[in-house]
Amino acid sequence: MSLCESIESLAMAYLDDELVSEERRELETHLVACSSCREVVDRERSDLSLVRAALVPPPAPDLFKARLAKALDEEARLAQRAQRLRPLALIGRYILPGAATVAAVAAIAVFVLVRPPATSQTGAVASEVVRQQKRSLPLEVQGASTGPWLRQHFAPVEPPQFAEPGIRLEGARLTVVAGHEAAQLKYMVSIGRETFGLTAMVIEGLRGTELTGGQAIKVGERTLYVHDADGRPAVTYVDEFGMTYVFASDRLPAQQLLELVVSSDLIGRAQQAR
Amino acid sequence: MQAAREKRLEFERQALVHTDSLFGAAYRLTRNPRDAEDLVQDALLRAYRFWDSYQQDSNCKAWLLRIVTNTFINEYQRKKRSREVLDAAAAEQESTDGVLVQASASDRQSPEKVLLERSVSDDVQRALESLPDDFRTAVVLCDVQGLSYKEIADIMATPVGTVMSRLFRGRKLLATALKDFARSEGYVRETTTTKPDEKPLDFEKYRAARGREGSR
Repeated sequence: MSLCESIESLAMAYLDDELVSEERRELETHLVACSSCREVVDRERSDLSLVRAALVPPPAPDLFKARLAKALDEEARLAQRAQRLRPLALIGRYILPGAATVAAVAAIAVFVLVRPPATSQTGAVASEVVRQQKRSLPLEVQGASTGPWLRQHFAPVEPPQFAEPGIRLEGARLTVVAGHEAAQLKYMVSIGRETFGLTAMVIEGLRGTELTGGQAIKVGERTLYVHDADGRPAVTYVDEFGMTYVFASDRLPAQQLLELVVSSDLIGRAQQAR
Repeated sequence: MQAAREKRLEFERQALVHTDSLFGAAYRLTRNPRDAEDLVQDALLRAYRFWDSYQQDSNCKAWLLRIVTNTFINEYQRKKRSREVLDAAAAEQESTDGVLVQASASDRQSPEKVLLERSVSDDVQRALESLPDDFRTAVVLCDVQGLSYKEIADIMATPVGTVMSRLFRGRKLLATALKDFARSEGYVRETTTTKPDEKPLDFEKYRAARGREGSR
């Protein structure tokens, strides 16, 4: 194969300094003898300098650099806080900010730091939900029919929806928690490359005393409780009709679980059809 | 506490020094400064989160450029499409009531200079816009960032041959667009240009043939 046949691509590699020395020597020797190839190299050279000159970009604006530094400080602060909360924090701060509509509500929780409870006196309910979340028992209903099924077989409730994209309701099953009828709603959470389960347990007829322990977090007029069940977090919430919701996920630290729950439509939603 | 501060300082020393470079690449990839800032910030925050997984002795700039490129390809494009709908509405509004404001702002510089600068840089952006994303990315990584074919191939997860043909065709399209523009403005006289895409890249064939000859 002669050099002339490949001259365009050879010229490019030559001008980009990508030829090995032997190839370069060979080409340069050839160029002395071949005027048409020389013309191609000259033309490519002038095109290349035209393109490179046109593409010289402006530097980053100073204001942007300042904003960037601030964003990094914030990131560092949040990472540090997540680490303090739980060393098993696997994912970064992808949870927030979520959709703009919930940002305001979520902001309330951001300023409320979850402290590890001084004594772990979490009641049986939160612990049992955390235990059931870890088991993967078959679902009785899946996908879009979960809501109607729940109302037919359990109680007039709506499955909570999360503002964060990537959280999908998989389905539900009926169960019993601490002697009370309950429905376990299972969600799949996809954040980055991580995929894991999240449970929302809806429990009927629970007495206040059965939900002992946990740290109270006020969000507007509502109060949520963050529990530590043997090192796994659970967030509980009792709505105005006495229906108890317990959220648990074995992959989320307490703060992120709380932020997720706050971003759900459960908080501030009027229970339907009661 | 101490570790966090050290991480931040280390990141500043090794990664943030490349902010101008990253912004340059992002500016040519996204073709406007606002999107470029968003892209660089997203990418650097991501880099910071994964800083622990960065191999300390490897090429930090290449690592960061890979994150910028991937973020651009994966996320930025999607976000942009949804935002364009909103922007179109805003632009319509502006076109009716923003004309006077805009005109007075640009009057502050000499009109000729503004016209020249704006038209040349507009043309570069327009020419870039006409390139498929893959071609543009290859050209930006090579001609704005000065990366080698191998480094670009690693970032784009393609063979070197593919990088070369994207680069070759991308540059041809750009050069042709730039020259067309200059000609239409009377800056340069008619010159002959080769049409893009008229020849496949035969560099690898050349190397293969050479290798065979050499082994004989």
